[in-house]
Amino acid sequence: MAKKSLMQMATMMVALTVVLSACGGNNGNNTSAPSNNAGSPENPTEAPKKEVSFTLAYATGDPSTKKAIETTIDAFTAKNPNIKIVNYSETTSASYLDWLKTKDAVGQFPDLVEMRDTKVFVDAGKIVELPEDLKGLFTLLPEYSGKVYNAPITGTAPQGIIYSKKAYADAGVTELPKTYDEFLAIQEKLAATGISPIVVGGKDIFHMGFWTNYFFINEVYAKDVDWNSKRTAKTASFTDAGMVQAVTDYKELFSKYVDKGWLSTADNQTASILVSGKAAQLFSGPWMFGQISEADPSFEFGFYAIPDRSGKVNINALPSLAGWSLSAEGAKDPDKVEAMKSFITFFFEPEQYASYLATVNGIPTTTAEVTYETGEQMKEVLRLVSDSSVNKYLGLANWFGDNAIPPQFRNWYYKLLQELVLTNGDVTEYMKKADAEYDSNVKANQQ
Amino acid sequence: MIAQPKKKKWTNYAIWFILPAFLLYTAFVIVPTLSSVYLSFTSWDGLSSNIRYIGFENFREILSSPRVHNALKNTLIFAFSLVILENALALLLAILVDQVRWLRNFFRSIFYFPVLMSGIIMGFIWMIIMNYNFGVLNQLLDMIGLGSLKADWLGDPDFALIAIILSTVWKAAGYYMVIYLAGLQGIPQELHEAASIDGANRWQQFRSITFPLLAGAMTVCLMLSMIGSLKIFDQIAVMTDGGPGFATETLTYIIYKVGFGELRQGFGTALSMVLFLLTLVISLVQIKVLRKREVQM
Repeated sequence: MAKKSLMQMATMMVALTVVLSACGGNNGNNTSAPSNNAGSPENPTEAPKKEVSFTLAYATGDPSTKKAIETTIDAFTAKNPNIKIVNYSETTSASYLDWLKTKDAVGQFPDLVEMRDTKVFVDAGKIVELPEDLKGLFTLLPEYSGKVYNAPITGTAPQGIIYSKKAYADAGVTELPKTYDEFLAIQEKLAATGISPIVVGGKDIFHMGFWTNYFFINEVYAKDVDWNSKRTAKTASFTDAGMVQAVTDYKELFSKYVDKGWLSTADNQTASILVSGKAAQLFSGPWMFGQISEADPSFEFGFYAIPDRSGKVNINALPSLAGWSLSAEGAKDPDKVEAMKSFITFFFEPEQYASYLATVNGIPTTTAEVTYETGEQMKEVLRLVSDSSVNKYLGLANWFGDNAIPPQFRNWYYKLLQELVLTNGDVTEYMKKADAEYDSNVKANQQ
Repeated sequence: MIAQPKKKKWTNYAIWFILPAFLLYTAFVIVPTLSSVYLSFTSWDGLSSNIRYIGFENFREILSSPRVHNALKNTLIFAFSLVILENALALLLAILVDQVRWLRNFFRSIFYFPVLMSGIIMGFIWMIIMNYNFGVLNQLLDMIGLGSLKADWLGDPDFALIAIILSTVWKAAGYYMVIYLAGLQGIPQELHEAASIDGANRWQQFRSITFPLLAGAMTVCLMLSMIGSLKIFDQIAVMTDGGPGFATETLTYIIYKVGFGELRQGFGTALSMVLFLLTLVISLVQIKVLRKREVQM
């Protein structure tokens, strides 16, 4: 195991934006890589000099993201004193969609908004296409109905095991697992030392998606990337062998190796539980690295992606429909549009963007090269994303186009899995319930 | 023949005085209520301008949805448990603070204090107390050597419902205590003195004098606590988010979740119509039953 000093030693690395070009096929979801550089940092869009103001909102749940975006806003307004940004942001990731809906209901839908539910807001006519001259800033832009709506803030961050090096050493774990079965053997060793092997923030329902997606990707999407669309068409079922295997593995892991208090543990408590030594591992993404280091700067931790049973590494890392979007209302005012374009251009300028990525441990999305300092764990994340032998997919609710699932199904399903574990239920019976609910949701959404 | 008193005609002044309040009430209560009735027959997602009429589809789904049935069951468990426990504790506290001579105002303030807290704040406090890893309750059990009794109070379906009920009782009892206290202080002391002279003990006095004469206060308290319990939301949203699984989901909780989180405003509004009817029916039955036993002094 590397020494803490080595681990923490920041490595100046060039995070080439080609990392996302290694992301395999498009799996039926179109992406475009425009070559238009009209709005590139070399030729930045000029900000209008007249006084103009626009509103902005993003999900403030992650402290490092909040800090990074606020810093960018301050730097932009200092450089462009004629542009005033009214920052509406005040809510966490967990309730971001609810909050945006509420803002819309009271006529305060932000002019520039971090969009996470693109399909919903495009269908409702609330956001417009990304201006043509901004598209050249990015390497890959996922499309919805043939159009681009988002300026991707960061690339999709893969999840993996964040582990305590001390706990691994105490349990005699000297090598990282090469298969899922080896990973389970490590859990046995950890449990034998008396520590909770895995902490899960099950009180926040979105956190349940991390493990769900791990098993789904390995047992379902790795074999059929169009499984979701087949389920919608009723030619696939939650009782299919792969899905039953995925949920059986999920149930086994949660029943045996997850910290007892997982259902009342919030996502933002997981870092504290990890650094306090109550648990040995957390399955999450690079956005947690900052929180963990902040909770205990001397805590030594590593990161790796868990392989599947055959040793293949499959991660959640394809581009998804998310990023800065312009509201339909805001886009009616040409001055606002220019101001928002200036902000987006500024945000993704290499110097500014590098600082943002370093703070949030993000993955770059721009065509321009971005250089930023990163630690040992983030280096591994970037390696996974750029490694063509690592297969990339999306999670259950992140697919789009024909593979989009009914929006109401995700949380219901995560709750169903919680109940399955709690009641030690029969997997096939529970998956029959999932089929019924899915069909009911599809039917309801077609009305 | 006795002349009937002339009905007082409304003057123009009266209408002008009522009009502002009437307009406000119409704009903020009547119109939204009527539009809710309409929306409950639509598939509106709450965002788009496309509102499609789908007849009774939402209500059909409500009748066949296991999630709604579970939420209805939880709502009724909450409602009846809270009504009984809140009123029993409130009555007990009212009797105690009515009789205590020493630090009377201090005790009244202490018992009333939780009422002043918002449901959200209260939920956070109890959530922290009952947290499995960092909660005071489990740490206390550890300290006194009862670590084996430690539990994930909000993460175990067997305890989560009880935990929310107990914390809600703690918050609300002080409010009803004040109403009962007012009722107790309205009972003439002579009745107790007369009963005492006749040889009635304390329990007999309570059963035959205090309890019947508190019927008015009890009607109010039972009604208010029933309506409040059927609408329970804050504590659930903060303490368990309806979980674990679906264990603490109530009607108000899923109205919010489907309406805002799952973008099914039409279905959520249909659920709120069901909750409205449920509250109306239970309240009317309560009034009918409780009014019968009220005693006029």
